[in-house]
Amino acid sequence: MSASGTVGKVKSAAEVVQGIPSGAHIALGGFAIARNVIAVVHELIRQQKRDLTISQGVVGLDTDLLVGAGLVKHLIMGGGSLDRFGPVPCVNRARETKSLVCEDYTSLSMCFRYLAGALGLSFIPIKSLIASEVLERLEAGAGAGDVQRMKCPFTGEEYVALRALTPDVSLVHVQVADREGNCQIDGPRWENEEQAKAGRRLIVVAEEIVSTEYIQRSPERTIIPGHRVEAVIHQPFGAVPTAVFRRYDYDAEHLRLYVEHAQEPKRYQEYLKKFVFDCRDHSEYLEKLGGAKRMEQLKADPVLGY
Amino acid sequence: MSSMQVSEGTKGKELVPGIRATEIMAAAGARELRDGEVVIVGLGLPEVATVLAKRTHAPRLAALLEVGVMNSVPKDTPVGLADSRIFYRATCWSGFLDVMGMNLHRGVVDAGFLGALELDRFGNINTTLLKQESGKVRYINGSAGGNDVASLAKRVMVIMRHEKRKLPLAVAHLTSPGFVGGRSRQELGLRGGGPWRVITDMAVLGFDSVTHSAALVSLHPGIRLEELIENTGFPLHIPKEVPATPLPTAEELRLLREEIDPKRVYLR
Repeated sequence: MSASGTVGKVKSAAEVVQGIPSGAHIALGGFAIARNVIAVVHELIRQQKRDLTISQGVVGLDTDLLVGAGLVKHLIMGGGSLDRFGPVPCVNRARETKSLVCEDYTSLSMCFRYLAGALGLSFIPIKSLIASEVLERLEAGAGAGDVQRMKCPFTGEEYVALRALTPDVSLVHVQVADREGNCQIDGPRWENEEQAKAGRRLIVVAEEIVSTEYIQRSPERTIIPGHRVEAVIHQPFGAVPTAVFRRYDYDAEHLRLYVEHAQEPKRYQEYLKKFVFDCRDHSEYLEKLGGAKRMEQLKADPVLGY
Repeated sequence: MSSMQVSEGTKGKELVPGIRATEIMAAAGARELRDGEVVIVGLGLPEVATVLAKRTHAPRLAALLEVGVMNSVPKDTPVGLADSRIFYRATCWSGFLDVMGMNLHRGVVDAGFLGALELDRFGNINTTLLKQESGKVRYINGSAGGNDVASLAKRVMVIMRHEKRKLPLAVAHLTSPGFVGGRSRQELGLRGGGPWRVITDMAVLGFDSVTHSAALVSLHPGIRLEELIENTGFPLHIPKEVPATPLPTAEELRLLREEIDPKRVYLR
């Protein structure tokens, strides 16, 4: 929390999550083990927000935590991975035991669905998915109402129409934001801009709160403008153990520990108890990971960015 | 990401004395890329092959990563597509919409370099799930950018390990389309040119221009034809004269070993 407390848009993760109802559709802005909104995800678990619909381009640790905690009933995703730490264990187990409904898309089709939402279009055509089982499974399952084969009205060319995605809440983790929510993202942005702007509500987690004057020095780098942002959560090391470019590296040790626990539902509950339920907030969680000393080790080299 | 990652060749396996299968694969992959082309690359051996091409015959190759990174020159070996290590010294940072939308979907990507859990005789790729003999399904990674690249790139190349179970008659899940059912890409309604080369630790495969089914292009030195057939789950067109895959040159080996992957993260 910033020293001046809850002024304007700056809020704590706990406050923000209190305003997210069970059953909401939440779009997450992480990619595999990069820029995951871990601080908010832990809070969603502590506050037991249930029956969530989660959408994400490439699901990572963030979605895996929510699924493992049993809070997700519907998953809309383009793929999933924890990079070299392996596949997403809880998501894959939930799919195998059919304990959630899953709509499996591709990176670009997820991005297009968010783009349509962000542009206020009700659908968007795409040339991917055609002739694949990805499309057939969507048509035969939970995606039946979201995909439709169509022909271009001008050329007759074959397309797949995708229904726009307009999540109830979009969450994005960024390096810097000002108190009004003007956000700058360093490094590649995967589908963050489309995913953020498709949301009916948009909440950002910032590593650092900067002055508006700082933003005004390089406004061309503002990916999300403040007027679209409902709340800013100031949480340094808010994405740990995932990486935030130019801030800190992923915590390989903790990711291995996570995967090890996630192999077994019983051990996974031990993980949740220790690192989520038994922590009052994100700072207590960071303490359990080794506190300031560990964070110092993870800190990025200013030239390399990791 | 992992669905675009590649299964590495058998650990440290040398096909001829002093040269590993993975090194032959990387060099074979590099030779499939031409100077000035635009390529979308997955992590692992595709990335190694692309860097090798750039450092040798194709300095003006544009190498794109789906997350929105162009032409990066990593100093340390990255572990994934969202690893900050792979953002280093890039010429452009953008996102999916730019790389996969305004380049790939736009039709300017010449080649896509993918990995696969399974690949069948028509070059269809599975990266979603595996079916165990008991019938139990195990989910892995899904498509991510794989289906998009396979649908839209002008040529699709796959680097994978050569095993019978990984090269079945039909894939357990058709994630990314090749020549589905032996049909042409036009018939399928797909814009991209489809599968072009499959580079394994035994051979380079291509696809017959009429039947669209897999054909042997070249056999790696040290591999016998019977061995290849035994380890392939689908019938292969075999040319009368089977060429040998060229070995990496001394300079290619030096670049691979000393500069591109000195820690042998991928060239295992």
